[in-house]
Amino acid sequence: MARPMPQGRVSGHVSGRVLATRAVAVGASVAAAYGGFLLFLQFGAADGLDSFDILRAALIFASTFWLAWGAVTAVMGLMTRPPVPPRQTGALTARSVVLVPVYNEDPVATFGRIAAMEASLRKTGMGHLFHFAILSDTRDEAIAARERLWFLRLLAETDGEGRIFYRRRDKNKGRKAGNIEDFIKRSGAAYDYAVILDADSLMEGATMVEMVRRMEAAPGLGLLQTLPVIIHARSRFGRIMQFAGTFYSPVFARGLAMMQGRTGPFWGHNAIVRMRAFAESCALPELTGKPPFGGHILSHDYVEAALLARAGWDVRVDDDLGGSYEEAPENIIDHAKRDRRWCQGNLQHSRLLLAPGLKAWSRFVFVQGILAYVAPVFWLAFLAASIAAPLFAPPIDYFPVDSWPFPVLPVSQVSKALGLAIGVVGLLFLPKILIVIDAIWRGRVAGFGGALRAVQSTLAELLLSSITAPIFLMFQTRSVLQVVRGADGGWPAQTRGDGSLGLGDAWAASHWIVTSGVVVLAAAQWFAPVLVPWLLPVALPMVIAPALIAWTSRPGPGGLFLTPTELRAAPVMDLQAAVMRRWAPEGDTRDDPPAGADAARA
Amino acid sequence: MMDLSQQERFDLDRLAEELGALPEAPLAMPVQQLEQPVFPALMALLRPRAVAQAKAGH
Repeated sequence: MARPMPQGRVSGHVSGRVLATRAVAVGASVAAAYGGFLLFLQFGAADGLDSFDILRAALIFASTFWLAWGAVTAVMGLMTRPPVPPRQTGALTARSVVLVPVYNEDPVATFGRIAAMEASLRKTGMGHLFHFAILSDTRDEAIAARERLWFLRLLAETDGEGRIFYRRRDKNKGRKAGNIEDFIKRSGAAYDYAVILDADSLMEGATMVEMVRRMEAAPGLGLLQTLPVIIHARSRFGRIMQFAGTFYSPVFARGLAMMQGRTGPFWGHNAIVRMRAFAESCALPELTGKPPFGGHILSHDYVEAALLARAGWDVRVDDDLGGSYEEAPENIIDHAKRDRRWCQGNLQHSRLLLAPGLKAWSRFVFVQGILAYVAPVFWLAFLAASIAAPLFAPPIDYFPVDSWPFPVLPVSQVSKALGLAIGVVGLLFLPKILIVIDAIWRGRVAGFGGALRAVQSTLAELLLSSITAPIFLMFQTRSVLQVVRGADGGWPAQTRGDGSLGLGDAWAASHWIVTSGVVVLAAAQWFAPVLVPWLLPVALPMVIAPALIAWTSRPGPGGLFLTPTELRAAPVMDLQAAVMRRWAPEGDTRDDPPAGADAARA
Repeated sequence: MMDLSQQERFDLDRLAEELGALPEAPLAMPVQQLEQPVFPALMALLRPRAVAQAKAGH
């Protein structure tokens, strides 16, 4: 007999529609990967099949599967749409807390966002039902002192005593997950729900109220994730990421939502959790062994989503919820630093693939996260194997038949290689092209400067992302190798704000990529000159990496990559701007107490 | 003698701690099991070890 689920939770039944979507997505991806495998095998076998051909074909299979998976997810997102929960109305009674973990952040910027969100919540008339808790793990004493001063200013300006809290931990055990756990153990029983944010998160009050309503309407819902939109980007790189995140991501997220059913994602912030569900399901253990694979769980969000699902709670992403924002790195180096941390966290999930009781989809999500970082290594291994292959290839036998006196020339299979290359490029480009067509069809391009500007921005994004892809490939490969070697990346604070880099800084961070690019081209020229034209699109951006990194870190002309929030700021962004106009001049005077600190004392 | 500006900073810090104090409403958070008991044993088994030295003496 089936074990009855505790109150509020739902059964683990996966709907037929979700199962069918998963089957189609996996089937299509495997079919594309197998097609790539066969094409390459035919190409490689033209001069006789050897072990290098089989290795390269296997690498093509794994890499193509990953590319196809992304493409299929986008197509799913375009073709299907999860039901949108009806907007709720009426009075609320549930008590919620907005958690803002901070770690060596600029207090003026962070607390300014809190002031804006608090004002936005007050406008909904439900502000009294929401508290804020600033959970500081800051280790820098000078920044911590400024946090306390600006907290007093925040209290004075919002009249927030008893509604806005601040506490700093002596030791940051468990990092961000441990920080939240510490709060729940001390104060969790005071609240029904917790909105978990990052230091750079910004959310409309109306969105938070709607999230609480949706949690109230679905007692089995343990976590509701929003789709945060990147805002405030200034550099070329930042604005490209901002455009891509705003224009493409909703479609990918929708496709993913169709496949994940009740086992949705948690991205660590801009989400709401049911306090009781989170408390009873999500205390993370410290893994046996040393970092990077042991110790604290770095990418805790994926694991918390899996644990909620294991305990029978629904985890859902509602992409129709607007008003959810975040900021992102302004240059490739800061992006790579953040990616290093995520890489370590995702590879650490290999320890959890066999964790007891997890849903099959949760395990698959871990595999996806690992593949996201291992796939670039496969591509690089494929390139290296291709350059090395001629060294190990047996000499061509022009007289394979003893009784036949004329030479038999191998049939050229270049068309197969071309077909494969076109297929790979197609998998990369097709989803984005389909998304722009869909956006024109549905009129979504209006928020991106109109149809012409959206098409121009998409083409420019495709070009720039293709040029910078080899640089990301190198950074990701290095991250994977570091983690596999056992190097712990630690917990570096995020760099926020203006991220413009000089050529010297860019060179210092990427000279090894330049060297690698030169070595690749030289090796190809030496061992397999026929490969040089094929390798140029990869090797050339590596050789000019410092120039690309520096150029993309600076602001560009504003015509391209427009997004809805650039064209018209969201209400909470206006509130944030108003707060910063008042605070920023005082924020620069590091040691003097801000004006409001004295008011709070009075 | 304590510097006056230091005293002022000390007062503000103390005030921030007092006004910022979190509500006391504890909630239990039991640690979840994520590792199969066999996994650490397997890791220990696979861990590279130095070749055992022969015992001295008899």
